[in-house]
Amino acid sequence: MSLKSERRGIHVDQSELLCKKGCGYYGNPAWQGFCSKCWREEYHKARQRQIQEDWELAERLQREEEEAFASSQSSQGAQSLTFSKFEEKKTNEKTRKVTTVKKFFSASSRAGSKKEIQEAKAPSPSINRQTSIETDRVTKEFIDFLKTFHKTGQEVYKQTKMFLEAMPYKRDLSIEEQSECTQDFYQNVAERMQTRGKVPPEKVEKIMDQIEKHIMTRLYKFVFCPETTDDEKKDLAIQKRIRALHWVTPQMLCVPVNEEIPEVSDMVVKAITDIIEMDSKRVPRDKLACITRCSKHIFNAIKITKNEPASADDFLPTLIYIVLKGNPPRLQSNIQYITRFCNPSRLMTGEDGYYFTNLCCAVAFIEKLDAQSLNLSQEDFDRYMSGQTSPRKQESESWPPEACLGVKQMYKNLDLLSQLNERQERIMNEAKKLEKDLIDWTDGIAKEVQDIVEKYPLEIKPPNQPLAAIDSENVENDKLPPPLQPQVYAG
Amino acid sequence: AAAGGGAAAAAGRAYSFKVVLLGEGCVGKTSLVLRYCENKFNDKHITTLQASFLTKKLNIGGKRVNLAIWDTAGQERFHALGPIYYRDSNGAILVYDVTDEDSFQKVKNWVKELRKMLGNEICLCIVGNKIDLEKERHVSIQEAESYAESVGAKHYHTSAKQNKGIEELFLDLCKRMIETAQVDERAKGNGSSQAGAARRGVQIIDDEPQAQSSGGCC
Repeated sequence: MSLKSERRGIHVDQSELLCKKGCGYYGNPAWQGFCSKCWREEYHKARQRQIQEDWELAERLQREEEEAFASSQSSQGAQSLTFSKFEEKKTNEKTRKVTTVKKFFSASSRAGSKKEIQEAKAPSPSINRQTSIETDRVTKEFIDFLKTFHKTGQEVYKQTKMFLEAMPYKRDLSIEEQSECTQDFYQNVAERMQTRGKVPPEKVEKIMDQIEKHIMTRLYKFVFCPETTDDEKKDLAIQKRIRALHWVTPQMLCVPVNEEIPEVSDMVVKAITDIIEMDSKRVPRDKLACITRCSKHIFNAIKITKNEPASADDFLPTLIYIVLKGNPPRLQSNIQYITRFCNPSRLMTGEDGYYFTNLCCAVAFIEKLDAQSLNLSQEDFDRYMSGQTSPRKQESESWPPEACLGVKQMYKNLDLLSQLNERQERIMNEAKKLEKDLIDWTDGIAKEVQDIVEKYPLEIKPPNQPLAAIDSENVENDKLPPPLQPQVYAG
Repeated sequence: AAAGGGAAAAAGRAYSFKVVLLGEGCVGKTSLVLRYCENKFNDKHITTLQASFLTKKLNIGGKRVNLAIWDTAGQERFHALGPIYYRDSNGAILVYDVTDEDSFQKVKNWVKELRKMLGNEICLCIVGNKIDLEKERHVSIQEAESYAESVGAKHYHTSAKQNKGIEELFLDLCKRMIETAQVDERAKGNGSSQAGAARRGVQIIDDEPQAQSSGGCC
């Protein structure tokens, strides 16, 4: 039915206005000629069909992917880890979303908002119980541990208990002040053990580790990524930033790691897994241990590639690469949490502290990364950032672990094609040049011959003519200007 | 307030010092520490996994010292990260290559920055490495030594390849750091409980490198 004829009001058949389904009601062009009721039915049916089709397609794809995955898994153990890592990241993101949404709706349940992340896989009703079970277990361990130190142990337990009882009243203070209290507590306990209890330094260190474990397991949910700070905003910012930098290749960062060696790529995957795992730990020291494990895997990867011990020149770029590849969840929150609540002696001079510092450096570098720091031109950098293009190498070399085999093959073929294209173009150019050279050459010869013919015309002159010609050359001599005379200027 | 790690002292406890290694890439920072801690140079049999964080225990005149040596990435693109590394260090070893004038220039930049950020509490050592390549020397001994003196740093000549001057360098540095720590302790009296009260956490400091010159690593 045409709108035009309707507007003019000419010959509009009654049947044309009625519902196409023939139910007797009037139809509407907006509903494709159906009445509202029939349209709803029809549309619903179509949509169901569509959903069904999509579902089937999704299922088929999933099956294919699983098959491809299964085959790749049997051939290469490394890939399975990548996949599980990906899964893990997804879960992390999912739980994170849940928390954010929850936060919006339940401003008062500040205390409970974070603990879901810990037991991501557990159904929500059991969360509280599980958390408390874990806390209880840690407390029991702590007490058992302290028992071996008799009087000092009692003293420490008393101090720790007092500190933990005082902390809930400090929850309204800023996180920095809470951190200050905790740091003071660490320091006081350590000093008391040394001066009063005369405990040797190695044992002090051990006890301090246990104290940290005990108090931070309890405080974690209140002081990790607290809502009074912009930690969460920073987490999202860095996550977004890393996502935007997906195109950065190891070559751009001068990463001294060759992922084509299976052992090395295995190490890389392990390093990524470790750095992602950091988020799941509660105690700062456990988080640090994840960073250290990650670093050790990086060193292994470098050692296998270069066959010499890794220096900081090798290590930092590789760590940056690992962070970019892994995009660890809640990176900033974790760094802030460790900074605020870790036992300072560990963070200051120890090996863990060194790796942690490097992680901070890596994050700072990623935040500020620009064209210059990747040795790229500003135009290239902007284009990669905006997603207009991506460096081809990236697609062919760094994608494979994640991409399925077909995509991998496709990128390889594309690469090959563009190489062929380039070669073809080069050959065409050369052929054209050769053609031009040939033409130029024949032209040149012809011109030369012509010149010679013109210069030495084949004429047989009468014998006395040359003399007259010489005379005639002087005919216009008097028209020439006088020869230049040297002139002397005064001064 | 650096020197925190040095607050150990009297009761027979060990000093622990943090020392950062600064300098352009390829000046031999890594060889230097590997020679010192492992006594090896370009050795196929180096067993350590890495040479970026190494520790060494010393006993100087009856005082025990735990030295933690932090290597830093020397590439120009990482220059801005310096403050995160050298925070809270007791000493800094600034390495240049005697055959490379540029690397000496970089050392001068580092000295300026360290003095600005950490004042005089940090012990500086300027080290001309690769003196086995004396023939190709491009940095004059006199210039380097007088510069070091002018900024209150000590100058050393080393060769990681021939194992020259390295032991002296670290021994000297440790002695100086002990002195600084002792002065620090005395200044604080016996109330050492205040010594560590300053916040120790690592923070990311926004600091643009001043007068950043272009030119990359090899």
